[in-house]
Amino acid sequence: MSFTTKRWASLGALAFTAALVAGACNSGTPSTAPVSAAASEAPASQAASQGPASAAASGGAASTAPSSAPTQAAGGGTGKAPNIFVVGGKADDPFWSRVKRGAEDAGMIVKAEGGSVTWLAPANYNNLGPDAAKLLQTALSQNPGAVVGPDWVPDAEDAAFEAIVAAKVPLIVYNSGYLAAAQKVGALNYVGSDDNVAGATAGKYLASHGFKHALCVNDFPGASFAEARCGGIKQGMTSAGAQYTELPLPSSDYGNQTAVSQAVKAAILKDPTIDVIMTLGVSDEPAVQSAIDQANARSTVKAATFDMDTTTLQDVKSGKLLFTIDQQPYMQGFLAVSMLNQYVQWGLTMPQQPVLTGPAIVDASGVDAALAGAAAGTR
Amino acid sequence: MTSQDERGARGRDGAIAVKPSAPPRFDVGGLIRRPETGALIGTVGVLVFFSIVGGRTFLSSAGVSSWLNVAAELGIIALPVGLLMIAGELDLSVGSVLAASSMTTSIVSGNWGMPVFVGILSGLALGLLVGAANGLVVTRTRVPSFVVTLATNFSVAGITLALAIALTGSTSSSLSAGEPAKTLLGSLIGGQFEVAVIWWALAVAVVGWLLHVSKYGNWIFAIGGDLESARTMGIPINGVKIALYMSSALGAALVGVIQAILYNGAQVAAGQAFVFNSIIAVVIGGVLLTGGYGSVVGIVMGTLTFAIVNQGIYFSGWDANLASLILGLMLLAAVLMNNTFRRMALSYSPKSKPVEQGRR
Amino acid sequence: MTTETPTSPPLLRLTDISMSFGSTQVLTDVSLEVRRGEVLCLLGDNGAGKSTLIKIMSGVYQPKSGKIEVEGRPVTFTSPRDSARYGLATVHQFGGTFPLMTIGRSFFVGAEPEKGFWPLKRFDRKFANEVAVREMRQLGITRVTDGDRLVGGLSGGERQALAIGRAVYFGASILVLDEPTAALGVKEAAHVLRIVMAARKKGIAVVFITHQVTHALTVGDHFAVLIRGAKAADFRKGEKSREEITDLMAGGEAMAELEAELDAYENAHEGHAPQIA
Repeated sequence: MSFTTKRWASLGALAFTAALVAGACNSGTPSTAPVSAAASEAPASQAASQGPASAAASGGAASTAPSSAPTQAAGGGTGKAPNIFVVGGKADDPFWSRVKRGAEDAGMIVKAEGGSVTWLAPANYNNLGPDAAKLLQTALSQNPGAVVGPDWVPDAEDAAFEAIVAAKVPLIVYNSGYLAAAQKVGALNYVGSDDNVAGATAGKYLASHGFKHALCVNDFPGASFAEARCGGIKQGMTSAGAQYTELPLPSSDYGNQTAVSQAVKAAILKDPTIDVIMTLGVSDEPAVQSAIDQANARSTVKAATFDMDTTTLQDVKSGKLLFTIDQQPYMQGFLAVSMLNQYVQWGLTMPQQPVLTGPAIVDASGVDAALAGAAAGTR
Repeated sequence: MTSQDERGARGRDGAIAVKPSAPPRFDVGGLIRRPETGALIGTVGVLVFFSIVGGRTFLSSAGVSSWLNVAAELGIIALPVGLLMIAGELDLSVGSVLAASSMTTSIVSGNWGMPVFVGILSGLALGLLVGAANGLVVTRTRVPSFVVTLATNFSVAGITLALAIALTGSTSSSLSAGEPAKTLLGSLIGGQFEVAVIWWALAVAVVGWLLHVSKYGNWIFAIGGDLESARTMGIPINGVKIALYMSSALGAALVGVIQAILYNGAQVAAGQAFVFNSIIAVVIGGVLLTGGYGSVVGIVMGTLTFAIVNQGIYFSGWDANLASLILGLMLLAAVLMNNTFRRMALSYSPKSKPVEQGRR
Repeated sequence: MTTETPTSPPLLRLTDISMSFGSTQVLTDVSLEVRRGEVLCLLGDNGAGKSTLIKIMSGVYQPKSGKIEVEGRPVTFTSPRDSARYGLATVHQFGGTFPLMTIGRSFFVGAEPEKGFWPLKRFDRKFANEVAVREMRQLGITRVTDGDRLVGGLSGGERQALAIGRAVYFGASILVLDEPTAALGVKEAAHVLRIVMAARKKGIAVVFITHQVTHALTVGDHFAVLIRGAKAADFRKGEKSREEITDLMAGGEAMAELEAELDAYENAHEGHAPQIA
């Protein structure tokens, strides 16, 4: 167990760094929180089956089967809908607006049954850990029926989480921290994602579609989410016998599409065996498209990316992009709230530990549903 | 005055001052006294270096376009930033201006479906507006421009993010520009060279004229050399500074518009790298960080040096992070070298006469 | 020494000039006048209000009260350019203060000669260099032959000559010299004093600001001593001895030995006039 604990703890640290990077840069890549349950609107058969399968594979023993509910809160079932407090990111952050939407949608059932869902968010991301800890304390002070919170900064937040658990309030850690962090503070479950799993899923998808050499454009060399994503692609590709190359971009290129595009162009000119390019976020995707055109390699080199926005979805639709990887933030809010509601009210135990909400691969077959979801604010 | 004879001797070795201001003189002494000499050495050095380690692709049109495209966009911003630095001021807001203008163009013409030239003009107008605000605050409050433009960089980034989300619900926007705009701003000549290269060339001509040929260059040098004296000599300091801030913001806005049209969209997080890259290019180009000294040729050389190192590394097959290391070292070396050349220019005294009136 | 009859109005006359910054009174009812071909020496210790008075004369500050007349006509200087239009030119301690500009460019800062047609007017570098070298030569500087050299390569005296030559060239009839000799060695200072005499001979009115009594006595026709923002004395050449003047400046105490100390202080601190004082 100590092996898995360590492993998850380090992944938790990765996720935290990613959260900081995403928050600090206000980038369009709030990459902390992938999610995928093979939900109704998850993409076509292939992607849907790929997602959970690989999640199970690399999630280790902990995620292979529904495990028993945690001891400390077993045998619930008050018959009454709880007042649930959810701590999350700013609502004007596009990623978190989808998490919030999921929590609120689940909250409609809670409300119909007489309970409530309250969203607590910091005003900015400058002081993430302490602010989150304060929000957790605020939640506890209002006699909550259950609490959902992200473990962005374990050192700052763990005391607040432990206080919630000590008050016998059911708790789910979501979005950041992974299962180890959740178990450490005595939470019922972890609902969230794993960048490494997402990368491996993408790598396997590519290898199984006949690609021989993937280039991972790493625009945040050293950032843990970036290393986890590129590392995952490497695992996925090399385990299937394909080649993998990483292109780390110096910070002097960050946010400069021309520099990114010229770097990618140089890389594919230098090594003609590269036949697919993965970007870690949507921001570099147009630059990669331009690089492929400039290298005159449209017929031999394809592109795919992590994360999604309307531009990338359009590119998937038009065939310029193989796929995007959806983190399904909506699921994080929706599942965490639903599971707590049912746990408190009816004593239903956690279906799985952890609940990985991603990755979902959106390729040409699933893009219309994703576009509709994006327009509705759920994807 | 002990160094008198020494200097005289050196003077005789170098330029022969028979005809006092005979226009172009291509003597070694003359070259050493120019602010761009160090930059020229740097550019030639890295070009030769990466031609050797980068192999044939580096010098193919695909390779040349690789660094020329990067240089062009950086150059459009570095030129006016260099003018500002010569005038003794910094502009750290170009990053956010770039993002704001590209988002403006993309939202106006993409999300709202207005004609693309309206989007372009809005993007550029926004740049001019931010530049004017920078200039007004710097000249009115006398708060150091470092602080003022740093504040602008943050504020504009914040406003852009908030407005983008309020207006479009997203941190990015897509745009498909129509044909005249695409050809003028966002196309690739021969499938390789960005039109931005031509815009850069135009900017070099205009800024070169302004700084070295027109009288306004004299004003800029004077303001950077000694603000109070320039004021006493009747130069409209505030006007010049506001105009310079507007031009650096306009340069950033133009690159923003070019990127929005070339890459069919915009993102709020773009552009920040230009803040320091432009300063690095200008300083490598021999412009004195504290103002009063520099040249357009130097800024162009500094920009090329930056781009060659930044892109050449991808052709060398080495870890791209080495580019940052090389650039850091080059920056330091450039400043040291430029200091030396400047000292030489200053100590390079006129040829002394054997007998001087009023002196020994 | 005056070349005018006393009844004709002086070239520059300041009457009851007062200036304050906030609650700090910097100048109180200062009246001065200077005539054509005359050198008025304005003496005063640091903080006596000299810099403020210079800034008022050169149009940087507008006085709170008082009157400025040029050739008997009341004027208001709202900007340095304004003051220059009435023939006033101010030369600061280091003369041409643009060490990294060429001699020719520096000579014409703010009044650049142009050739060609709008919008392609060019700075006339050749003309600028020739004029600059010629004007310096007229003030006795023969070592400088190339207008493309940087001002920073010139000696202190040569820079003063550049600045004074510039003022004379642009038709200044009133020259305000701010401590022109303070930063110079004995020989260089003597050279500058000779340049001042040359300017006077041309019929220019010179306001010579200094704290070095010897220098003042060498070239001055008329003297005024400023103490804490007020005029403490006003006398003509020969009316007071060097010792009397030194005592006056030091506030009435015999402090000749302090002068050296003051000299050192001023040398170290008057590179630029303080922003407010």
